Amino acid sequence: MSPMPDNWSYVLAAYGVAAVALIGYWCYLSARARALTHGRRGRGQST
Amino acid sequence: MPSGDYSNKMTRVLGWLAVLGLLAGLVAAFGYAPREVIQGNVQRIMYLHVPSVLTAYLAFGLVLIGSGAYLITQRTGWDRLAAAAAEIGVVFTAVTIVSGSIWGRPTWGVWWTWDARLTSTAVLLLVYVGYLLLRAMVDEPDARARYAGVVGIVGAANIPIVHFSVKWWRALHQPSTILGPEPSPIATPIALALLVNWIGFTLLFAYFLSRRLEIASLEEEHA
Amino acid sequence: MTAYARRTWIVLWKDLLTERRSKESLNALLFFALLLLFLFQFALGPDRDRLRAALPGLLWLGLILAGLLGLGRSFVTERDNDCWEGLRLTPGDKSAIYLGKCLGNFVLMVAVEIVLLALFGFFYDVDLWPAMGRLAVVLLLGTTGLAAMGTLFAAMTTQLRARELLFPVLLLPAQVPVLLATVSATEAALLGQPLGEVSHWLKLLAGADVVYVMIGILTFEFILDA
Repeated sequence: MSPMPDNWSYVLAAYGVAAVALIGYWCYLSARARALTHGRRGRGQST
Repeated sequence: MPSGDYSNKMTRVLGWLAVLGLLAGLVAAFGYAPREVIQGNVQRIMYLHVPSVLTAYLAFGLVLIGSGAYLITQRTGWDRLAAAAAEIGVVFTAVTIVSGSIWGRPTWGVWWTWDARLTSTAVLLLVYVGYLLLRAMVDEPDARARYAGVVGIVGAANIPIVHFSVKWWRALHQPSTILGPEPSPIATPIALALLVNWIGFTLLFAYFLSRRLEIASLEEEHA
Repeated sequence: MTAYARRTWIVLWKDLLTERRSKESLNALLFFALLLLFLFQFALGPDRDRLRAALPGLLWLGLILAGLLGLGRSFVTERDNDCWEGLRLTPGDKSAIYLGKCLGNFVLMVAVEIVLLALFGFFYDVDLWPAMGRLAVVLLLGTTGLAAMGTLFAAMTTQLRARELLFPVLLLPAQVPVLLATVSATEAALLGQPLGEVSHWLKLLAGADVVYVMIGILTFEFILDA
């Protein structure tokens, strides 16, 4: 039984997509949190 | 990794734990786990794909709990949990499907096979994207929470029904296909590497959830 | 008759009577079924065997599409005539309203199915009579699931701006298992197999129907109060 070729490009692609998705989601959360906290601070100071 | 003064302490701790867990997972997947005999190194995608789907199911389990608890208690905290879990669940489900598809290409020669697991996961994605769309399109918070709660329960109740229907449907149409080699019994190093990765993913999920819930609370304060 | 059953019956009777008088929904849906027939023919080409092979799928596709059109309108009369508050103020267990509406939708869908089957037999030259008994069982089980979920989601989306978009988006993923089960069972029925062969599908359908109706009954009042 001959083993399959290694196909590292596919492994890289899969992990790469996962990294992009997860890091992307983290960035999205950070941006949202930042927007909310800035807005809050600004509002607090103006009262 | 977690940003300084925007998160509370627990979120930051979870974040660093998640980074550790994921790094350990990568080491286990590429350094420790052996090269699989039949599939070659492509099999290492499993260390991403399987923990991802397990985390997605964890997320949707929380959607069920949050939806059900909101229906019973009507405390908005439960609705916030359901919404956060659904959003994160969709992210992990997408990762599951794409990684499964990429794994399938060199293994079975096609980008997509309507095999039971992949199809069920795709249907799951459809259900919860619909859930998020509903939430996006209902402005009134009380109505949104109620409708989302019911859809969350329907979605969760459907999971076993979808699982069986897809499995039997699949058996009808391709009874003799060997759907990808599954190591049975699973060798210990592989199982260990899977476990480490699964822990890392669960920590990541917990971090995302904590962060997302903070954001939801902030949004409620602003409203 | 218990008060609950009476309330259910009243809702059902009101809807059937309204429909019989105006015939809005039914006529449009039946015409829609006819249109679908032509659409399927044009989409799948003149090869009769290809159509025959696809028949179980086309039947249920047609039914689901008709359902998307007809079921979304379940509460339209209440909304348009400012009766929504009336629904909310109904004394007693409001799930009777859900059950009544669900039964009304069930009857509507069955009517569309019967016509669809007749049209299929006529236009695509298939003899459906030998399988009729078995088909009826599958149809009743499948339609229950469709009506149960359709009525619930209709109640949800009636008050929303984006109802035309959200109703299909919510209903279709929920109908996936029902579709898989009914098409498989219909296929078997049309091939002449006895129902015992597909008992697992039928049991799944029956179980799913029970789950859907129960969820509808338990959560309808919660939705109404939104």
